[in-house]
Amino acid sequence: MTRRIRIAHLSCGSEYSGIQKEIQNAVEAVNAEIVYPEVDTDAIKDAVREWGLEVASPDLQLMIARAKSIVEGGFPVDAVFITTCFRCAEGAITRSELRRYIHERANLPVISYSFTERTTAETLLTRMEALVTTALRRTLLAREKQTGLTAGIDSGSTTTKAVIMRDNEIIGVGWVDTTEVLKSAELAYTTALTMAGVDKSEIQALGTTGYGRLLVGETMKAELVQEELTVNSKGAVYLAEKQKGPATVIDIGGMDNKAISVIDGIPGSFTMGGICAGASGRFLDMTARRLGVDISELGPLASQGDHTRLTMNSYCIVFGTQSLVNALSLGATKEDVASAACYSVAEQVFDQQLQELEIVEPVIMVGGTSLISGLVEAMQDLLGATVIVPRYSQYIGAVGSALLASGFVE
Amino acid sequence: MVSDDITKMVVLADSSPILPSELALRAYELSTDAIVKETCFGLIVTGSEKAVNETIKELRRLDPSGIFVKDRGFPPGDSRRCRAVRGGGPRPGFHQLERESGILPSISYGLETIDEPLDAKAQKKREKLKIGRFIEIIEEQSKEDVNG
Amino acid sequence: MVKILVYPSNSLILSDLVTRFGHEPLTLMRVIRQKIKEVGIDSPPINVTPEDPKKGLKYAAVDVPSGVRGRMALLDPLIEEAEAAIIVHEADYSFGCMGCARTNELVKYIIRNKDIPRLELTYPTCDDEAREFVRKIRDFCESLTRKAEVLA
Repeated sequence: MTRRIRIAHLSCGSEYSGIQKEIQNAVEAVNAEIVYPEVDTDAIKDAVREWGLEVASPDLQLMIARAKSIVEGGFPVDAVFITTCFRCAEGAITRSELRRYIHERANLPVISYSFTERTTAETLLTRMEALVTTALRRTLLAREKQTGLTAGIDSGSTTTKAVIMRDNEIIGVGWVDTTEVLKSAELAYTTALTMAGVDKSEIQALGTTGYGRLLVGETMKAELVQEELTVNSKGAVYLAEKQKGPATVIDIGGMDNKAISVIDGIPGSFTMGGICAGASGRFLDMTARRLGVDISELGPLASQGDHTRLTMNSYCIVFGTQSLVNALSLGATKEDVASAACYSVAEQVFDQQLQELEIVEPVIMVGGTSLISGLVEAMQDLLGATVIVPRYSQYIGAVGSALLASGFVE
Repeated sequence: MVSDDITKMVVLADSSPILPSELALRAYELSTDAIVKETCFGLIVTGSEKAVNETIKELRRLDPSGIFVKDRGFPPGDSRRCRAVRGGGPRPGFHQLERESGILPSISYGLETIDEPLDAKAQKKREKLKIGRFIEIIEEQSKEDVNG
Repeated sequence: MVKILVYPSNSLILSDLVTRFGHEPLTLMRVIRQKIKEVGIDSPPINVTPEDPKKGLKYAAVDVPSGVRGRMALLDPLIEEAEAAIIVHEADYSFGCMGCARTNELVKYIIRNKDIPRLELTYPTCDDEAREFVRKIRDFCESLTRKAEVLA
């Protein structure tokens, strides 16, 4: 059994939002413990003055003093979890600056989150898992080559992917829509095995990730069951051959979006959003259906269009689709509509998620949506940076799992 | 603990001649039903409202202006507040208590001298600088700079 | 005896002085005492549940952070019961329940809009200021006593 890792919790209002128990549950689920950095009462004011951010709320001042205590080595911890209330400007500024400060000065994994009273342990669990993995499995994450014969299954909310890898080569892939989690995993896996021409019994190690990772991992007796933040970071820099140094990974998924700042293949900070369907791959799926084209045709179609010729009045999946329908009825071309849909998704991810991250090149787009060229182009346009889409990017989770699972091959 | 029990904190001003141990000793001597726990600030007293208030009334007699009392939400030793269970630093309320303790000697002095007349000089508030006087200062200062 | 809301509501000094001068301080500690005794609720450390920020909607709209609304829910019984109030400014060491500047601004605003006697003063930093501080609180408390006697 691994030792309990110490997560310092810096927060100003989680107890008063009624979610402390949820945080506690998520932390316990990953076999970690919450600790509160020790600070001297008289040192709080000095710490805030030295750090230089004049915040009015005493609890934020206490967070700053506690962060300084960690950075200055006065209080040993393995990782840091920073939370403030959603919609508080003072809290958001403090939260993101503290995250940067701790990450840079203490070289500790830091995760930040803005909560509401509706935040649940389930929402927090993926973040906690990534935090703990980063803190504990540095050796595993240092792996740069796949060895032996391994498999990875990414049980996603919309699709299930599987890959088979042998000696650093992808030799089989499988891609199916997710219906029943286990059945879909079984089907994707079998497809990949058939393509690779190997028998299941030959596989030396299996890794699972995605929404269904726990169920699939347990049933199939996987060696590695890992959340997608860690796996996708690793998989992205591996496929893009950018394993050293910083990188930014963007994954617009069917249900939630991930933007991850990666350093040497390890997630440093990230944002996960999943509140609005209008900012998801699902919206593009609906647009393709409405336009009567296959999702694979949406990207090239968008590339030929001009999003500025359309007015999108809403980010919402319902009203956004309505805008597109209206545009079509007013004579807009399919190309322009496809372009506007891609731009709308990219813009929403850019506005709501990427602002919180430091975007460092190379920017790598992964996941099924990275195959929609119009979306990649829109993102490139918004970021003003070149976006890399590596080969097999749609299998990112499965590749990352197969790669990391090879750490379990003797 | 029965549900209608209450808890109060008894905090000694640093300037008080009474020691926490003396305070505790006095509390133990009182034959109320309250449970007493010694802390670095003074005492925590728990029990029925009647017993706690009686105990505190008696304790206050030891140094009326140097002993301060407040309610406490949690009973002593409650794991939700306990520092050992929490891991690391204290709860935010601890910092507040520590800060307030720092000015207790002044409050204590204020209580002792409550019926004495206030020093007129001390009462004088800081007034805003008159604009004319400000101009004079600027002129004086710039002369000094030129000469210096 | 008049129920006086003191702010910061967890202040040792204010709670002590009000009691000393014959009135009942309305403090957060009493609310917490009730809160942690609530049967069947397991939401450590102070049994604030997601229901509390919803109760806080009484004072602030849903676009106000949950931490503000949760704190307002805790303070609600004090605001409701208050017959008088003492507000102390520059209480820079008010952590925890009083640790959010926005909540503190809102509470003071609500108190000022209640038609109750109110004393506002600044925390002392030296002996002379403390003398004035203690005296003002005593005088305020005595005025409340006299008023209560007249009404009786």
